[in-house]
Amino acid sequence: MKKYIISLLFLITGGLLLHGQTTDPLVTTCVMNAGPNAKYLKDFRVQLGKAAAPGEPRYKTQMSLWKNTKYRFTMCNSEDSKGKLILNIKDETNKMVLSSFDKNTGKIYPYIEFVCNKSGIYQLHFDFTDGQQGSGVGVVSMVR
Amino acid sequence: MRSRFFNFLILIVFIFCSCRNSANSSNEFVFPEADSVPVGEAEKLSAEAIAEISKNISSPVEIANLLQLLSVPFSPDYLASSIDANRQSTAFDKALTLGILGADLGYLNMYEKTGSSIDILSSIKKLAEGIRVGQYFDFESIKRLSLNKSNLDSLLFLSIDSYTQIDDYLRTNGRGQLSSLMIIGVWMEAQYLATQVVKQFPDQRLRDRIGEQKIILNDLILLASPYCTKDPEFNTLCSDLQEIKDKYREVRITYTIGEPVSVEKDGGLVVEQTETSTVEMTDEQLSGIIEITKQIRDKLIINN
Repeated sequence: MKKYIISLLFLITGGLLLHGQTTDPLVTTCVMNAGPNAKYLKDFRVQLGKAAAPGEPRYKTQMSLWKNTKYRFTMCNSEDSKGKLILNIKDETNKMVLSSFDKNTGKIYPYIEFVCNKSGIYQLHFDFTDGQQGSGVGVVSMVR
Repeated sequence: MRSRFFNFLILIVFIFCSCRNSANSSNEFVFPEADSVPVGEAEKLSAEAIAEISKNISSPVEIANLLQLLSVPFSPDYLASSIDANRQSTAFDKALTLGILGADLGYLNMYEKTGSSIDILSSIKKLAEGIRVGQYFDFESIKRLSLNKSNLDSLLFLSIDSYTQIDDYLRTNGRGQLSSLMIIGVWMEAQYLATQVVKQFPDQRLRDRIGEQKIILNDLILLASPYCTKDPEFNTLCSDLQEIKDKYREVRITYTIGEPVSVEKDGGLVVEQTETSTVEMTDEQLSGIIEITKQIRDKLIINN
């Protein structure tokens, strides 16, 4: 009995330690592919099922962006994603600032560089194309 | 009797529904007006709302990046070298110091002074273990990358990611007060760095960045607000933040309107914003901000 308890404790402790040190390989790859002059700031891990109906982006978050800074937003998808990760950014007045999806041409940009000239808190909206199921990461870096 | 009871029941249901509706509307997270943070609202903040607010706080790495853009040389004088991780007795001190040293680590990393960061890394490890989040700080990998000086990208990622994991863990495990302290510590040290540098390098872009902190000061205060009345140490910290906010009261930020300009480049898209923000801040106001920031930050690290 004692043996089982010790083994169980060992497994739980090991699991906790591993959990703490595991980084999603998709995130690591995406960070490393953000470009040689890009300095990592943060990432947003997005995992969504298929939407009942395509509509507004479903993953919404926010971050502050600062004037005189050039940001790069890099989008990466896991291999089993049905759709491709797209990003829209809106400012505090809900005005669209950028989109990685061009509605007119249907083109999806894998990264966007944003020259920020207005400091503030921006809304970042992620989804997969056509509300498809998918798993991906959006990496935010600074570039010179 | 039966009908009276039925009417009474309807009345109760009506009152109950009315209360629920009003509670729902007040639960919506609304950013506070410029000069007040309603404590009552702050106490209702969900873990998700706190997570969102914490994302608004500027990263020390961004300040260090700006300093590099301005060709400001590295100086160890700005670091909180006097901090002794062994002397942090309370969880409050440990979490706050963890934040302060996190900002210093970001500054060192950005300037690639990674060989000098080993002492700070050891202190961070000790502090993280002190609040039982040591498993989220990948000390060995970060130390190895620091000593090798080979891969700044990985080092920056691992350092920031470790802090993000600590923050997530604290918030989702009912220890949001420690997460708030860590974030406040990071911001305070980055603000100290910026305000000390601007004295010697009074570049307009740096002045603006300091002035623009007004945008997120309410958020920072909001993070601390739920705990202001519950703990004497927090109470002092809340007063300190309020003092900083007072110095920002007359700083103005104005905006001009414009449409973003997009061009395709190397398969990606480059978007240049033509809208601008402008900071109106007098020398006197800036001096007040520099002074109060130094006073509070020095107090925080001397107490430690």
